[in-house]
Amino acid sequence: MPDTTKKQKLRFLPTGSALHRLSALLTLLLLIGVFAFTSPAFLSVNNGLTVLLQTSVIGLLAIGMTMVIITGGIDLSVGSVLALSGVIAGLLIKAGLPVAPAMVMGVVTGGVCGLMNGLIITKMRITPFVATLGMMMIARGIALQLTGAAPISRLGEAFGWLGNGALFRLVEMQDNGFPRVIFPGIPYPAILLVIMAILGAYLLQRRQIGRHIFSVGSNEEAARLSGVNVDRTNIWAYTASGALAGLAGMVLMSRLVTVQPNEGVMYELDAIAASVIGGASLMGGVGSISGSMIGAFIIGVLRNGLNMAGTSAFIQQIIIGIVVIGAVYIDQIRNRK
Amino acid sequence: MEFGTPLVEMKNISIAFGGVQAVDDVSVDLYPGEVVGLLGHNGAGKSTLIKILSGAYKADSGEICINGTSVTINSPRDARTNNIETIYQTLALADNLDAASNLFLGREITNSFGLVNDDAMEAETREIMARLNPNFKKFASPVSALSGGQRQSVAIARAVYFNAKILIMDEPTAALGVHETQMVAELIEELKRQGIGIFLISHDIQDVFKLCDRVSVMKNGQLVGTENVADVTEDDVLGMIILGKQPEKAA
Repeated sequence: MPDTTKKQKLRFLPTGSALHRLSALLTLLLLIGVFAFTSPAFLSVNNGLTVLLQTSVIGLLAIGMTMVIITGGIDLSVGSVLALSGVIAGLLIKAGLPVAPAMVMGVVTGGVCGLMNGLIITKMRITPFVATLGMMMIARGIALQLTGAAPISRLGEAFGWLGNGALFRLVEMQDNGFPRVIFPGIPYPAILLVIMAILGAYLLQRRQIGRHIFSVGSNEEAARLSGVNVDRTNIWAYTASGALAGLAGMVLMSRLVTVQPNEGVMYELDAIAASVIGGASLMGGVGSISGSMIGAFIIGVLRNGLNMAGTSAFIQQIIIGIVVIGAVYIDQIRNRK
Repeated sequence: MEFGTPLVEMKNISIAFGGVQAVDDVSVDLYPGEVVGLLGHNGAGKSTLIKILSGAYKADSGEICINGTSVTINSPRDARTNNIETIYQTLALADNLDAASNLFLGREITNSFGLVNDDAMEAETREIMARLNPNFKKFASPVSALSGGQRQSVAIARAVYFNAKILIMDEPTAALGVHETQMVAELIEELKRQGIGIFLISHDIQDVFKLCDRVSVMKNGQLVGTENVADVTEDDVLGMIILGKQPEKAA
């Protein structure tokens, strides 16, 4: 056993999961190394911030997805819920609501979709795969119906603040009248991602709800017999996933300063891939936020690095597909011994 | 020895699953400091009956009294409020969690901020395990990495820790070796002395004769009869299990 496993606070996780996270982290560093070597622009502050920005949406989705996967479920609806949340926020702004409350309503919309998922799964006893597949179509359908499939634009400058703003941004006015960016700042989406990841990890590791999420995914019957409210735990996880999808929707639409009802298609698969690369088991009971964040960044760095190396989007799909299978295969080998 | 109010009375309990009458109008009772064995074939309804007491199932009809007062038990949580603890045949452990997390599952120790207090839970677990199974050392491993006997001690520790008054043991020795079975037998004696009432489900007649004061036999969901262990022979009880016949009373 490597020493790292002993230092883990999360002692109830299989000792191998820390190992998995370590190997995922090494993979990430290796990728960064390879891309830095092949493309000199890759390892620049600007590009680093771009990767942060690009990964924040998948990262936010992956936090919720990880919780759901640990319960032994899956949430296929997050990509559509992200779009619907954006549409609701956009329509509310068009109806005259200020940006901030409209965005809150967008997140609430996501939470409500997640709550519906949870209720359908626990009360109607429909498997998570089918329930969230249904919600995926329903949410996308509502988003397209409400907008007539047309994007909502001219939402005002304030709408773009969350997605495009940055903390500690240093801009200097030059003599010629053009601004010069000294430090592009830390993008708000990245800050939001860090806050939500810490919050998610805190809930999962230090609160009862987190312990119950692990127990439900580990052995649902045992959890129920031990007095854990299994239905409430599941509903909680899906609601959190929906609300985070709503938040991711706000970030994405804000970055585009336009609400696109067609956005977020297949994002759920990226989120699932991030969780799985990060060591979450689709059998439930295993997973961590930190692992999923590494997974999200592996996908983000791969996309970005391959883009900079001029690889086509199709080849990128193939490579990410191979990475997902490879990550799970390594996990399998580890569990077999 | 049956004086006073029984600790548990299950009166005229019935439950059906689909068309199958799993438990049909069964009444059993249990006194403090007593071990009552529940015997019967697989599918005789013993486990179902006991799961009604532990809150895993809800009876279609019948009444449960604890210390003479009628109670409703709709969930495992309700059962625990009435100091009923259960050791399930499947042990009901969450495999990915460690011993302490399993012991306190659903009743985690939290500090004043609502944070799960892993250190306190592990300390408590170490303390109780030192009593139950001094050889137990794997506090950091998930319970999936434990042997059958170790898993059993975690399940027993969970039941004993929370000051149960009524203990249900479903096949507690089924997965155990000789030494561990002896450990369970000693534990049962110890719990009896503390005035805890125990329902012991088993299909090992010798076990039951060794450990129990009374034995209730079920067949096809119905109660064949309840006898003092001292008054019957193993053959009598076998007859009850196989033929569903009450032994003929000598005199």
